[in-house]
Amino acid sequence: MNTLNRRDAFRLAGLSALGAAVAACAPDAASGGGAPKGDAAAKTFGFTSWSLNEEAQKGAVQAIVDAYAAARQVKIETASFPYNEYLNQVTLKLRGGQVGGAIQLDISWLAALAAVGRLKDLGAQAAKGGYTDVALSSGTFGGKQLGLPWTTGSIGLVANTEILKKAGVEELPATVEEFEAALRAVAELGGGITPYAAATKAAQLKDILPWMRTFGSPLLDGETITVGDDASVAAVEWYKKLYDARLIAPDVDRFDARALFAQGKAAFYDDAIITRGVVAAQSPDKSLAEKMAPLARPVLKSGDTPQALLWGHVIVVVEGEGSDAAADFAAYATSDTATVAGFFEKVKLPPTTTAGLADPKVAGDAFTTAWTEKITKTATANPFWRYAGYAQIETAIAEQVQAVLVGRASAKDALAKAAETARPLQK
Amino acid sequence: MTATLTRPVALPEAPRRRRPRSRAAAWAAVAVIGFFGLAPIYWLVVTAFTPDDQAFSFPPALFPTEITFDHFTRLADNEQLFGYLVNSVVVSVVTAVLSVLVSAYMAYAFSKFRYRGRRSLMHLVLASQLFPQALLLVTLYAVFSATGLLGSYGALILSFTTFTLPLCVWMLKGIFDTVPSTLMEAAAIDGASRWRTLHTIALPLAAPGLVAAGLFAFVRAWNDFVFALTLTDPDRQTLPPGLVHTYLGEFQTAWPDLMAASFVVSLPVIAAFMFLQRYLVGGLTAGAVKG
Repeated sequence: MNTLNRRDAFRLAGLSALGAAVAACAPDAASGGGAPKGDAAAKTFGFTSWSLNEEAQKGAVQAIVDAYAAARQVKIETASFPYNEYLNQVTLKLRGGQVGGAIQLDISWLAALAAVGRLKDLGAQAAKGGYTDVALSSGTFGGKQLGLPWTTGSIGLVANTEILKKAGVEELPATVEEFEAALRAVAELGGGITPYAAATKAAQLKDILPWMRTFGSPLLDGETITVGDDASVAAVEWYKKLYDARLIAPDVDRFDARALFAQGKAAFYDDAIITRGVVAAQSPDKSLAEKMAPLARPVLKSGDTPQALLWGHVIVVVEGEGSDAAADFAAYATSDTATVAGFFEKVKLPPTTTAGLADPKVAGDAFTTAWTEKITKTATANPFWRYAGYAQIETAIAEQVQAVLVGRASAKDALAKAAETARPLQK
Repeated sequence: MTATLTRPVALPEAPRRRRPRSRAAAWAAVAVIGFFGLAPIYWLVVTAFTPDDQAFSFPPALFPTEITFDHFTRLADNEQLFGYLVNSVVVSVVTAVLSVLVSAYMAYAFSKFRYRGRRSLMHLVLASQLFPQALLLVTLYAVFSATGLLGSYGALILSFTTFTLPLCVWMLKGIFDTVPSTLMEAAAIDGASRWRTLHTIALPLAAPGLVAAGLFAFVRAWNDFVFALTLTDPDRQTLPPGLVHTYLGEFQTAWPDLMAASFVVSLPVIAAFMFLQRYLVGGLTAGAVKG
């Protein structure tokens, strides 16, 4: 019988490790490198979505995928990336031909992905989907319907009615003047309450843009950036006034604002419609959701249109094999009334079709209905989203607004500088 | 009259006693450094045991008033995280083994052989460390895509190994330099081949360095986020992207769960460091002084 001595055993172990390394480096047939294969009527396609891995939504999204796959006898290969890395990953993989089929997108990313030039025109599906006009607008780019709207909402103001009541504010403020008066009333309560947990960290200071619009700046006129005009300067000076009066607090982003609001330490803050579930989950006050009220962003003078930022998700489809089936899936996920109503019931993201919004499961939800009526109805997209470099433009503006808040620059100079920095990014 | 000249005698200077003030300053410095080092770990552990609705209390509480094990229970129930853990172990261990194997041979060749261009090659290896890794990501992506490696463990292992090699080679070269050449010559006189000399004399003597290099490569692979996210399929991703994917969402970050998971997954690395500490210290300092 042959036996191994210690040296031979070490050699064998070394060779095994080397073998394992080489084996691990071998290409994996199942991982499917290269472009997707199959014909145009393929029954297999991909679906890429960040929601497929997020605890709050993955069950509901997977249910839609499974229901469609079972009903149409198709195979859907799913993939997921973290939200904060999603656009980079999808863009890279789309350029490399590593992703196909349907892709969930935040509406602000549409231009960046459209720039790759591989998205399918979904006009035919959009025409028969029964989507609302505002929802359809969120998936439009360059005159084409590149995305089918999956959920359409807005980023608007939320109030804690209990704090307002304690401060003697009975009615939600409708004008900037009333809003400021309400903030001052809340400030007098003391107790460490931030009247308005507005964004003051540079990373989130893009929240100032709807306020600039409120004061009358269009932000973008044709291809001309209007940041730096009298209206935007007035908006930033007003913001600075709130900051100096401690009606808004330093170093606050959306995460901090939610935490403050959840702890009953803020009377107002900006967030998306999903706020109710998010804030309630981290609040020790189990009845906080009932005290939350959406309000239209106060206007400069009565009769003005309240400003809010359109927010939502769309599903786009990559041209190529399997794209027909993927487009049909996108239409099903976004416009089948039973599906979208069921999805709303689970995740509270508002549907995008007239029939979906009218479904009792949706229409019976007072908070969602109020939000849609007061905020989403007049919400508009950020005009900079049309540029692939929109995020850098927002950053350029945010950094200058930050400089104003901390007293390093005047609003006029800072916004002029922001516009100057942003201009080369309009491509 | 005679004059007696006395020459001052130089006495050995008594060791200076450290003044209390400088000792207090030293302790203060240690305390400050310790605070900055340990505070994040303390916060991680405390948050992991704090109930969700108290984790965001304002102002934050230094000591939790209530303790929960829910986050650890949820972690244990999450099969997907176990998959990420397995991927991390596979990728990190193979990267460490491969890095040590390749760098040991390279370092030995740099240390014990004399040939034209040796120094230039060595500096070229070191210079490759200077490239920002983010720059290499797109290139590596294209290369792996073209070769069909994209999505596999191999893409990650090869990229991590290329990043760890320069430092490992330089670390091990320093160690081989300290192995006396007379030992090799004696082995050669006794009839040992170069191959045998390397494996029976040089490598065992360099063992602490091999362990240190392996540990360095292991930790590099264990902690990487961007490459692990980009170069692999979702089912081959390692823990860093896996944790981000699981706990950092569009609207909400499950901080207590993330802290619990981070605490648990850092334990293998801590254990490895504790177990291999004696080798690590020897390995890192060996070759520092040529003797």
